[in-house]
Amino acid sequence: MQDRFAPSDPARGLDVTRNPLVARLVRNRHFQFFLILPNQIVFWAVIFIGILGTTVPGLNFGAAITWYIWFCLVFVMMVVVGRAWCSMCPFGGFGEWVQRHSFWNRSERSVGLGLKFPEPLARIGFLIPVVSFLLLTWLEEFFNIAGPGNPAATSFMVLGIVGSALAFFLVFERRTFCRYICPLTTLIGTVGSMGTVAGFRTRDRDICLTCETKDCMRGGEHGYGCPWYTWPGSADSNLYCGLCSECYKACPHDNVGLYLQKPLTSVVAPNRRRIDVAWGIALLWGLVLYQQVNALSLFGSLDTRLNNAIAFPHYPDPVDYLGIIALLALATAGAAWIVAKLLARRDLDLTTPGTFLERGSRFRTFFAPIAYGLVPVIGADYFARQLPKFFKHSTRLVPAVQHVFGASGTQSKLYTLRLLTNPRIVVVQVSVIALGTLAALWTTWRITNRELVPVSRNGVAIRVVTLGLVLVCGLAAGVLYVLMHAAS
Amino acid sequence: MTLLATGIPGTDGSTANCTGEASTAVRPHVTVLVDRCAGCQECVVRCPTGALGMDSHRWVAVAEDALCVGCRQCVRTCPFSSITVEGPLLVAERVEVEEARPEHLVGDVDEIRRGLGSWEEALAESARCLACPDPTCVRGCPAHNDIPAFIHAVAERNLGEAHEVLRRTSVLPDTCSRVCNQAAQCEGACTWSLAGGTPVAIGRLERFVCDNAPVPPPRVSPAVVPTTGSELSVAVVGAGPAAIGAAWELVEAGAAVTVYEKDDRPGGLLGWGIPDFTLPEAVAGRPWEQLTRAGVVLHCRTAIGPGDLDGLLAENDAVLLAHGTSLPLRLPVPGADLNGVTDATTVLQAGKDILERGGDVADFLSALGLSGTGPGPRTISRVLVLGAGNTAMDVARTLRRMDLSAVCIDWLDEQFALVRPDELTEARAEGVDVRFSRTVTELRGEGGWVGHAVLAHTRQRSGSEQPKTLSEQPDVISVDLVVMAMGYRADPAFSEALPGAPLRREANGLPDRRWMASGILANSASEVAFSNPVGTLALGREVGLWAAALPFRDRLWAAGDALVGPSTVVESMTQGRRAARAIMAAGPRAPGGSGHRGPRRVLVAYESRSGHTQRAAEAAAGGFSERGDQVRILPISKVGPEDLAVADFLLVGSWVEGLVVARVRPAKAMRTWLAGLPRLGAKPVGIFCTYAVSPKGTLAVMRRAFEAKGAVVVAEAAFGPGELGRDLPEKWESGPVAFGRELAHQTGRARR
Repeated sequence: MQDRFAPSDPARGLDVTRNPLVARLVRNRHFQFFLILPNQIVFWAVIFIGILGTTVPGLNFGAAITWYIWFCLVFVMMVVVGRAWCSMCPFGGFGEWVQRHSFWNRSERSVGLGLKFPEPLARIGFLIPVVSFLLLTWLEEFFNIAGPGNPAATSFMVLGIVGSALAFFLVFERRTFCRYICPLTTLIGTVGSMGTVAGFRTRDRDICLTCETKDCMRGGEHGYGCPWYTWPGSADSNLYCGLCSECYKACPHDNVGLYLQKPLTSVVAPNRRRIDVAWGIALLWGLVLYQQVNALSLFGSLDTRLNNAIAFPHYPDPVDYLGIIALLALATAGAAWIVAKLLARRDLDLTTPGTFLERGSRFRTFFAPIAYGLVPVIGADYFARQLPKFFKHSTRLVPAVQHVFGASGTQSKLYTLRLLTNPRIVVVQVSVIALGTLAALWTTWRITNRELVPVSRNGVAIRVVTLGLVLVCGLAAGVLYVLMHAAS
Repeated sequence: MTLLATGIPGTDGSTANCTGEASTAVRPHVTVLVDRCAGCQECVVRCPTGALGMDSHRWVAVAEDALCVGCRQCVRTCPFSSITVEGPLLVAERVEVEEARPEHLVGDVDEIRRGLGSWEEALAESARCLACPDPTCVRGCPAHNDIPAFIHAVAERNLGEAHEVLRRTSVLPDTCSRVCNQAAQCEGACTWSLAGGTPVAIGRLERFVCDNAPVPPPRVSPAVVPTTGSELSVAVVGAGPAAIGAAWELVEAGAAVTVYEKDDRPGGLLGWGIPDFTLPEAVAGRPWEQLTRAGVVLHCRTAIGPGDLDGLLAENDAVLLAHGTSLPLRLPVPGADLNGVTDATTVLQAGKDILERGGDVADFLSALGLSGTGPGPRTISRVLVLGAGNTAMDVARTLRRMDLSAVCIDWLDEQFALVRPDELTEARAEGVDVRFSRTVTELRGEGGWVGHAVLAHTRQRSGSEQPKTLSEQPDVISVDLVVMAMGYRADPAFSEALPGAPLRREANGLPDRRWMASGILANSASEVAFSNPVGTLALGREVGLWAAALPFRDRLWAAGDALVGPSTVVESMTQGRRAARAIMAAGPRAPGGSGHRGPRRVLVAYESRSGHTQRAAEAAAGGFSERGDQVRILPISKVGPEDLAVADFLLVGSWVEGLVVARVRPAKAMRTWLAGLPRLGAKPVGIFCTYAVSPKGTLAVMRRAFEAKGAVVVAEAAFGPGELGRDLPEKWESGPVAFGRELAHQTGRARR
């Protein structure tokens, strides 16, 4: 059993809750409330100012903070920490406050129906949130929300997320919305696995296994059961740890700690590769490449032609949007299929029956590890995609805040200030991609050696092919950034 | 192996589901939702058939349908709802026993319910038991009988072993197997019942054990039979089930037990309240025969009032009040004071007497004081019984045996009725007209004698909802006699001696986590138990057990109905045993009449988050240890009723929660704990808190909570950063250490 978890268990010394101050902070029931509260204030301000404030996007606090700052910060948090955003998310936080009928106390009654998420939907795991992310991104493009266009559109988008989150919190139990629906959960979960926070894990697995009450799962005197359906006793990655600290508070044996880990550990170490995560990665890869391709002039004419053909009003045409994403995701999967076809050992039967999440096949045996290995380059690509807005417009936040109080305007120097200009932005973007590619080469190397070499006929060939695939992806993203000229 | 264990005939493709309908090769199908399964193995350790195991590579549970019997324990116990089971319950049909149907009901007092008639039936029924690793039936049983173990003994044809298992927790197995409402207790909590099926007939198996092998008497070793005045001497007031449980436990431990009963025969409700056709005299009388033979001194026709308690306490080391609730409840409706309106106690006592003697209705009326020259009808034939619980059924069925017609009414909806389901069926079969969703709003007289009853319709949508009286046209029925059988209440004369009684049987705060984990709270019992929330009911009973271990005041305990109001035989008996154990733990009193002999027992209980409060508790406890007191230091989560019961002094500390100055108070866990405390019976208590900025009203909150429980707060202290500095030993000396020393000194001196 220890062998099963040895690769993913953080070192004992990396438990930050061994520090009494940290322990006291994390154990405090106000802890998460005060993480959520500032974001809650900001996002309600976004909603109201977006609707009631100026229609100049760069001067509207709602639009400025959302698209110039927030998205970039979320990515930094993902890469460094993991699901840090989830622990302070105002959307889930608001729903949770209502559901628990409490801001911070451990309440015994909940508001709402408390239903379980329907099994047939739960069985497809990350695919629902990926689809909701694709839908949200398409709506952003269609209504030019993220441009940013009319600031009110940003408000309505945020309001829509808050409303749908609240509805799910009132209908379903725990953080069903965050785990199964939230548009960002796949992105944060996968990219966050690069982070250096392992999440809340067991200190002694034997104690967890013999625990009679499993308060960390069911809820105890001091804490709720894990809202994310994660058990510290068997967590082998930070994929589903929302860093809410409820398990830490609930554990009657003081057997849960908040652990740090080396970067990329949660990409490389987990024993159990999830096929829904693999498809999620492939689709996210398709989406980010689409967002690069659509900045090319060539794409504009293609989109216009397709819109004319199907009488669709304007960009983005749903056919090319979904077509390109699907094509790129299928190309990634197809590459894995070819690799499996050519290099899998014939003497091994890799087929096992089961549901979508359980089934085993030769294709899945290769596709899942290959997709996991690509996470760093995809994470880098999403991050690089946000940089132009940050470098060109982030300083607008200051005049936007001043404008709320009637001061400042487009004539402010900060409104037109650029932190970096175009050629330099491209350099930074390509550097980020290069860094991501290097990280992906390392993760792929580790994953290939551990998981693919034993099932391949030729160890050298499989290493060359998987690393080559990473290089191709990194190269494609880098070249596209050069061609885009830092378009935002 | 699995199929035999659940009594399935074989694997030839023909199985029987819980309803007894044959189904061809339909097996349960288990689905583990691998997306959420965390591999915690809660389902694996609880699966009674080994159908669930672990895939150690993927670290998820895996199921083998071929071994699954569909009991759905895994579904109820999975913390993340990651398992579903579809398909039938693979369990053989319950062995049904035909009830006695007397040809001539009038005057017949033979027992109606029959036990399992043969070993074949007993073995077939015992084979239905899954022997669950975490048996919910044990939690559902108020006595916590080890049901799987005694059923296993039956399956092994070993009745001696079965009795051996039962006697660990019960001294009335023959009575309980007849009068317990198993459908809402053990059988309601049987895993088959929680899965919506028909439970194992636990009551009938228990009765089979007692019918075929006599209940062993108390094991009193001659060496510990009290011969001198130095042994523990206990006076018990009352001789009902609680007294039987306590006396049995005490006499087996060698205590001198004296029982005072106001009636002319012992047994309380068992003696006069349950008719012979439900509980034969031989069974009801068995415990007292054995107890008196074992050395318990029984004084019948000796009423003990509140004024006699001091005298009893002076003569004995401890007194247990188990006088029950003997005053019938009366419905305050217009006409309730008419002639011809009586109560269940009167009818049951008179009826039992008349039926035993073979008397008739005239004798019955005479016994009720309704015959002779006074006003009233010459004959009585139509009787209205108010209530449709077990007592009301007993009344109505007694009346039917005297050739009277009986109508029972209850304002509850039938699906939430409190009556035993089988008792209701039997009553209806005997011609009792039971009408639910009715309440009497008026009794109309004719010549000073009750003649008509106005019955309004009621509606009740849920078990927790109080029925509402509807405005639609009421029924008016002719009646000659009205019997109020809605239950009993405690004697108000004792309310001063037992302040706060009866205790509300409500589990405060979060349910016990181990109960949650067992799955008993996850589902209501099946229709056989009127879909009762058996887990919640069982948890409520635990509150009574908790309280029974604690004295109301120095050396004065209470158990049974006297403690919690009207309850069941088994619950009272169990509380009596629990109180007896607490009395034994407290030991003989100290010379001078207060407390007990030997060193003082101090319990230091704390709620600590960061460790400050724990260290302060340990430092304060040092003061008591220095004086030679026996000190136990426990976090409040680990303090059990026995710990509280035996402690002579309580020192309780909490950290202070709140936001600097807002909502500053004791920690929530401490508040919950305080709210859930039973009566502390004038126990002396010291309180302290540890704070960062200000304690504000923390100590006042704690003090009020303790005083509400009857404790006496003798000292309090608040320790701030100044007294709790980790590197300032001199501060600790002047803070918690000094507090402990001074408190130990003062209270110890007072005790001397």
